[in-house]
Amino acid sequence: MAEQGVIRLESLTKSYGKIIALDGVDLAVRAGEMVTLVGPSGSGKSTILRLIAGLDRPDRGRVVVDGQDVAQVPPHRRAVAMVFQDYALYPHLTVRGNLLFGLRVRRVRRAEAEERARAAADRLGIADLLDRYPDETSGGQRQRIALARALLREPTVYLLDEPLASLDAPLRFATRADLLTLHRELGTTTIHVTHDQAEAMTLGDRVVVLDHGRVRQIGPPQQVYDEPADTFVAGFLGSPPMNLVRGGGVLGGATDGIVGVRPEDLRIDPDGPVAATVEAVEALGSEAILLTRCDDGTRLTVRTGPRPGVWPGDQVRLRADPGRVHRFDADTGRRR
Amino acid sequence: MSTGRVSRPLTAWAFLAPYAVAVALLIALPALLNLGYAFTDHTGLTRDPRFVGLDNARRLLADNFLADSIRASAIHLALAVPLRLLAAIGLGLLLAAPRPGGRWFRVAVYLPTVVPDVALAVLFLWVLNPLYGPLNQLLGLFGHPGMNWLAEPGSARLAVALMLAFPIGEGFIVVLAARRMLDGRLYEAAALEGCGPFGQLRRLTLPLLAPVLVLLAVRDTILTLQVNFVPAYVLTDGRPANATLYLPVYIFDQVFEFSGFAYGAMITSVLMVVTGVIITALLLMVRRWRVLR
Repeated sequence: MAEQGVIRLESLTKSYGKIIALDGVDLAVRAGEMVTLVGPSGSGKSTILRLIAGLDRPDRGRVVVDGQDVAQVPPHRRAVAMVFQDYALYPHLTVRGNLLFGLRVRRVRRAEAEERARAAADRLGIADLLDRYPDETSGGQRQRIALARALLREPTVYLLDEPLASLDAPLRFATRADLLTLHRELGTTTIHVTHDQAEAMTLGDRVVVLDHGRVRQIGPPQQVYDEPADTFVAGFLGSPPMNLVRGGGVLGGATDGIVGVRPEDLRIDPDGPVAATVEAVEALGSEAILLTRCDDGTRLTVRTGPRPGVWPGDQVRLRADPGRVHRFDADTGRRR
Repeated sequence: MSTGRVSRPLTAWAFLAPYAVAVALLIALPALLNLGYAFTDHTGLTRDPRFVGLDNARRLLADNFLADSIRASAIHLALAVPLRLLAAIGLGLLLAAPRPGGRWFRVAVYLPTVVPDVALAVLFLWVLNPLYGPLNQLLGLFGHPGMNWLAEPGSARLAVALMLAFPIGEGFIVVLAARRMLDGRLYEAAALEGCGPFGQLRRLTLPLLAPVLVLLAVRDTILTLQVNFVPAYVLTDGRPANATLYLPVYIFDQVFEFSGFAYGAMITSVLMVVTGVIITALLLMVRRWRVLR
């Protein structure tokens, strides 16, 4: 008997018409792990969730949940709960009705269902909203309602499809912490989809970077950030993205490859080897981003502390941290 | 832009004006005149109607044909509205999902609506023909001897309602469009909870469509009390035994066959009141059921 909450995807392939959504995805998720699927839109993140949930069937490959191939298992018999991007709350039912929906369908006794719904609402701090309709609640509250509804399924796996995407920035920050706390308390396997790289870094034990239906890299967020497997991952994780210079150029090094350096690994140094002109300064309060252009036309982004003391038009010299320069193959884009 | 703000209501009224004039001239004024004529002895042939007070109202109470007519209209309403709504909703929901060839089915459902009433009625004279009509032949396949549809009160009522179950295009389109606007994710969420097709119909589709369905029911009630004139006139002429002497048929008879213009106006007013009472009852019921919030 396999441990509960273990998921294995084996060469999962799925296309919608002519669009290939997934192209041979392999992934093993450990019990209790929180895995973040990240990638640009159309990279196949949500498709993976839909295949695990059973909302779609794979063209090829297997989905194995708790050691069982679930190809023949209908969605509601899989021990998974899904939170949709815009929450998919039933607009004609009160919050209570939304929470009770699944319990009623499963014919749980009324008193017990009420009791469990109340407990879930208490846990997520929405007990005072039970008599409201979804359109009378805020975005953050709706997200909690959707989570409470998922909680009531008592799943061994949670699937969260962009759970923070419809929240505004401050709320997103707080909710991110709440989600982590909840995950830690429940200890249930969670697969979380996002296109936001900050979320990918903070939520999750491991990130899976996807592009065009293929897995580009799997690993702990910091490791993926520090050692991107290819230029796609290097460009996708990190904001602003990594400076990638074909042939090395001003950054020196391999002339037949691509050299990358993150904006924070470049600093202004009067003796630095790279001469550049500042084109723009984006002061972000706690830090500043300099957009510079070198003499050969190469653009480099530099992250500095606040108030860097340089202005557009200034000539600066830059130095890259030698230990943090990345080299990629020019043809495959793979890390060397 | 203060000028824009001042002129905006004026612009709105300017756009509304043609419609408002038409409503006033073609609907409100005739309705008021009708109400006025109801208290005269106007025959529709002479130009000097005299005020007769409540004479026509007194005549209403003693009129056995009117009682039959109201009965016929009520029974028709009870038969035709549920039948038409069921057909429009059922077909609308069945054909809302994209399917290969679905558009041909949707065209087929809408087609009877563009057929003129009279043509449809003549077609049904053939369908219902006791000797060679396809309906009786169909029944014959199941060993049923067939019926003389338009000769018996019960079957004649059924026949008219049956005919009116076909021109349901508008309601069908409304249901189709409303169903397509529902968020597919709600259905996926319900499927994850183990809610099957019938559960989804009962717990999602019907409650979510409730406002539209109520609107359709109100509209169909008004329509059904009025559009039965042509089929009844062509199929049965109000017979047998006044079973299909619906109010519009009886009003027509009074006004144009018996030159009882004033009395016809009085019955028209009754039809308006009856319609108003039924719609009010329907809306009260809906509020009671908390279908709309």
